[in-house]
Amino acid sequence: MGALTDKYCIVGVGETPHMRPSNRTTLSMACEAIRNAMADAGLGARDIDGMTSYQAGDSTTSPHVASSLGIRLNYSVDILGGGSSTEALVAHAIGLIEAGYCKTMVCFRSMNGRSGRRMGGQTPGGPAQAATCDGDNQFNMPWGWTTPAQRFGMSAMRYLRDTGCTTKAFAEIAVAHRYHASLNPKARLRTPITIEDHQRSRWVAKPFRLLDCCQETDVSAALIVTSRERAYDLRHPPVFIMGGYARTLTENPNWNYSREEIHRVAGNYGWKRSFGMAGISHSDVDFISCYDAFTFTTLIQLESNGFCGRGEAGDFVKGGRLQIDHELPSNLSGGHLSEGYTHGIQMVIENVRQLRHRADDACPRWAEGKHTYDRKAGCRQLKKAQICCGMAWGTETTASSLILRGMAA
Amino acid sequence: MPGPIDYSKLRIIPDFDTREWWEGTKQHKYLVRQCKSCGHKWFPPTLPACSKCTSMDIGWFETKGKGVLYSYVVIEQPILGAFVGAVPYVVGVIELDDCKEADGTVTRVAGVLTNDEADVEIGLPCEVQYENTNDPNIVMPRWRISGSASNTWKFRE
Repeated sequence: MGALTDKYCIVGVGETPHMRPSNRTTLSMACEAIRNAMADAGLGARDIDGMTSYQAGDSTTSPHVASSLGIRLNYSVDILGGGSSTEALVAHAIGLIEAGYCKTMVCFRSMNGRSGRRMGGQTPGGPAQAATCDGDNQFNMPWGWTTPAQRFGMSAMRYLRDTGCTTKAFAEIAVAHRYHASLNPKARLRTPITIEDHQRSRWVAKPFRLLDCCQETDVSAALIVTSRERAYDLRHPPVFIMGGYARTLTENPNWNYSREEIHRVAGNYGWKRSFGMAGISHSDVDFISCYDAFTFTTLIQLESNGFCGRGEAGDFVKGGRLQIDHELPSNLSGGHLSEGYTHGIQMVIENVRQLRHRADDACPRWAEGKHTYDRKAGCRQLKKAQICCGMAWGTETTASSLILRGMAA
Repeated sequence: MPGPIDYSKLRIIPDFDTREWWEGTKQHKYLVRQCKSCGHKWFPPTLPACSKCTSMDIGWFETKGKGVLYSYVVIEQPILGAFVGAVPYVVGVIELDDCKEADGTVTRVAGVLTNDEADVEIGLPCEVQYENTNDPNIVMPRWRISGSASNTWKFRE
């Protein structure tokens, strides 16, 4: 077990709706998400003294939020990063609070990810303008190879070739996460889909179809980390941080494509650390979150984190294994594919709600932890939700994880 | 064949580490970086030190511009204006024939293929070609399937 296992907790979570478009600033959305997270925790502005965020040059900063909400910070840092940053900032929070730099830290992401800056090299001013190919972009943009779909598709294609997996495995993930979204009133896409719907959807960047790709949205989301001793006095039962790994990199992270196998992704280098820190094995995990910018990113992380062997993920997900009430429910809010796109923080938030037994679903008394478990009536709370393994993706070469447990575990 | 790429909508900005590479393509030379201490070769040239021995005494290796297709994507939805008229087009990752090292290290590069998807299979040999752009200072490398091979693999829906 890790020296700090179970000593730190996530005590508050909150977000804005997933919007397209928001017609709001990233600062306004961040303030709303953080107010919601503070209210959820039962904390006020005076109780927060640390703040971190991640962004891609597309968002507001902690000092702006602190000024707006009247929070005086003992620690503030805003980092550059997308997917896999949330879990890394939670790791920072643990170290900083342990060392005494602050006591209670907010981590947030705020992005107009649809109406503002979209991922993947859209040219300011639209496609009619010349795209500037400088720095790393000299060696991808001139070949029209910029978006995450286009980039990750390269690894996915080679994975299909090396393993014999087919895109029906991608479809299993799209179907599972959409089913969960159908049980989530906050999700953008709530109509269940079939394997055939996936297989019929149009191509974006082969081997990826439209239903392999996430929902870009405008959204902010926030969570609050503090010590176990403080957590006991707050509004909800604490959710304990058991272990993780934080922005773990493969070799040659700047150029994935000369690595021995381009689909041997960063989770391979992390999971022994996170499971060792947590002191658990894979069979102890009740449910997972698994970063789904694309169906394939979920698929490949299952095997890179040791849930199945190399090349086995396609078989592993068959038959609805990732769906609620099956062996390993994944992304219970619907994830990026169907709920909306927050660069990963929403998955941690959903995991916290599940571990508290307070998924905000259609059950009338969900806020008291009373659930019907009737999926036809819109309940998405797991019956047994004690340990969750969250897996996060930045690129093939960058990954994080966060293993959490609820009070009863 | 894929449609034309509108190079007027790409503005290439070579920098201190890459301008010799772009100078190379103007002379129809496909360069990769090479360490003068240990001989390691790599791409892209944006990386200024040898990842095997950390030396920063580095030069260039002129490859023959031949390799084998390691993977590809078929881009159906264009994002950049330069490629609106080119879809569908194939971007490939090519493992260079003359950059394999004794310990198994390989160098793979990327580029747009000139071929239709129907002619593209993982494992086929490729060679570089050069296309002039509207900018006289920029010549663009592209790749074409240059032969046949056994044990190739093609994506099927």
